[in-house]
Amino acid sequence: MFEKILIANRGEIAVRIIRACRELGIGTVAVYSEADRESLHVLLADEAYCVGPAPSAQSYLNIPNIMSTALLAGVDAIHPGYGYLSEQAHFAEICASHGIKFIGPSPESIARMGDKAAAKQTVRAAGVPVIPGSDGPVSDEREALAIAEEIGFPVLIKAAAGGGGMGMRVVYDRQQFASAFQIARSEAQAAFGNPNVYIEKAIERARHVEIQVLADEYGNIIHLGERECSIQRRHQKLVEESPSPAVTPELRQAMGEAAIRAAQAVGYANAGTVEFLLDPDGNFYFLEMNTRIQVEHPVTEMVTGVDLVKQQILIAAGEKLPWKQEDIEWRGHAIEFRINAEDPDRNFMPSPGRITLIHAPGGPGVRFDSGVYSGMMIPPYYDSMFAKLIVHGRDREEAIARARAALHDLVVEGVHTNIEFHLRVLDDEAFRRGQLSTDFIERRKLLSAS
Amino acid sequence: MNLEQIKQLIDMLSDTDVVEFELETPEFKVKIKQGVPQAVPPAQAAPVLAPAQAAPAPNAAPAPAQAPQADNLVQVTAPMVGTFYRAPAPDAEPYVKVGDIVEVGQPLCIIEAMKLMNEIESETRGRIKEILVENAQPVEYGQPLFIIEKL
Repeated sequence: MFEKILIANRGEIAVRIIRACRELGIGTVAVYSEADRESLHVLLADEAYCVGPAPSAQSYLNIPNIMSTALLAGVDAIHPGYGYLSEQAHFAEICASHGIKFIGPSPESIARMGDKAAAKQTVRAAGVPVIPGSDGPVSDEREALAIAEEIGFPVLIKAAAGGGGMGMRVVYDRQQFASAFQIARSEAQAAFGNPNVYIEKAIERARHVEIQVLADEYGNIIHLGERECSIQRRHQKLVEESPSPAVTPELRQAMGEAAIRAAQAVGYANAGTVEFLLDPDGNFYFLEMNTRIQVEHPVTEMVTGVDLVKQQILIAAGEKLPWKQEDIEWRGHAIEFRINAEDPDRNFMPSPGRITLIHAPGGPGVRFDSGVYSGMMIPPYYDSMFAKLIVHGRDREEAIARARAALHDLVVEGVHTNIEFHLRVLDDEAFRRGQLSTDFIERRKLLSAS
Repeated sequence: MNLEQIKQLIDMLSDTDVVEFELETPEFKVKIKQGVPQAVPPAQAAPVLAPAQAAPAPNAAPAPAQAPQADNLVQVTAPMVGTFYRAPAPDAEPYVKVGDIVEVGQPLCIIEAMKLMNEIESETRGRIKEILVENAQPVEYGQPLFIIEKL
């Protein structure tokens, strides 16, 4: 077992990892930027080292300083958390070449799933359904139209160099296609310096449903069920839940098996998430695979009882998975709410500042994962999310009631938060009925200030 | 750590409401628990910090030093994480000593990271007033290394 782990991250996930290390009796080394000197993760760790000035590029992404710290502190392993270096294959390689275990999959797995177009080809060959579309960029308009007609309208014309929802255009029929295609190419050129576009089926009223997989380094892979993450603003998830109101046990099994095939196709080890789009007819299509622990991992932990971060550490230390697929059971319903320091009256602009008071909710089935304490500064340089509220109930109704109580119980003073927004979601009729899709926020007009 | 130091440590702790104190170095490990007559509520929002002045812990990051008060004093801080060396080689003369006059661009020390030696150059013309770290000491980003009196 590892003696010491360096956590190459900050905020609530760094605190989460430190907690798991504490439980396992492993020493913890935190790294921090000058802006995070008084952060909770720095104060909780056994050792802490400053690795750079405030900007992430010079601190949390500063590989030389982080590796130097790891070597000086004599750590056995590095946990990269999510974001930052967690999906940088060359960082995983650098760890390996210095004899430090990277807590995650191999550099090859990261690279193969990191290239989104290549990932699609890889999983398709493994029998995983992918979104119908062109095999790559299409520059000829007639060819593009032929593909569109074969897939069936509506289609999406997507910039190959785009991402995060940028550079996409929906076309509903062949009359619109020609001009839309030309405009999309010019837009792609202007925005990304690359005019290449490809065609994909546009799935309407799709749900974002992802499957958590867990694999040890001996080839054993299981899935831990799904998370529904359809409530998003600008492709940033805000509310996640497990199970998904739209997933039956049969569909869970089918998606779970598909996710395992995707993971097997790249020889995956450790924790990972396979994202799918689920259409209203119950068809699911591979979107991408995230080769790291995710923000919303707690909802899976609450319904399965599996401690995912602890398992990541144990797997990396060479332990076999203690469960077979048939050992995994799902109990009750869990929902997570991301608590962000943002101002709802100013278009959810980040609202950094000092948290003068934070009072965490509690009680049965209430979990609060936070990276802050009363009196701590939330710096302006990083993500606005500073905590997650997760509730668990015996069913979705109880989870919703518990969430409402807990969100009222939660007090944050000193910065603006999106707590009111979450309360509006809970009151929304479509939400209560589980009628979710990735356009939920726009469709239900939940963004208008209260 | 000798018995006298441990007694001093215990005396120092008894003046605080620290309940549990643990210190570990490569040479020794000491754990002190203070018995309390009634239940002490566990620390809530603010985590309990070991008193920084108890004993030198080799891996503890020093609190950032106050910038030198005088206008003509300049602090040289580490631009990277690594090991501080005063000389280009183990048996060589140190780059600078206290009292030396240095020019802009003159190397003051080496910070070694992952087997790469990085010479740290002075950005000031002045006299070395203080050297704040020891040879072969690990340093973190921003850690004060030298105080130079501007000339």
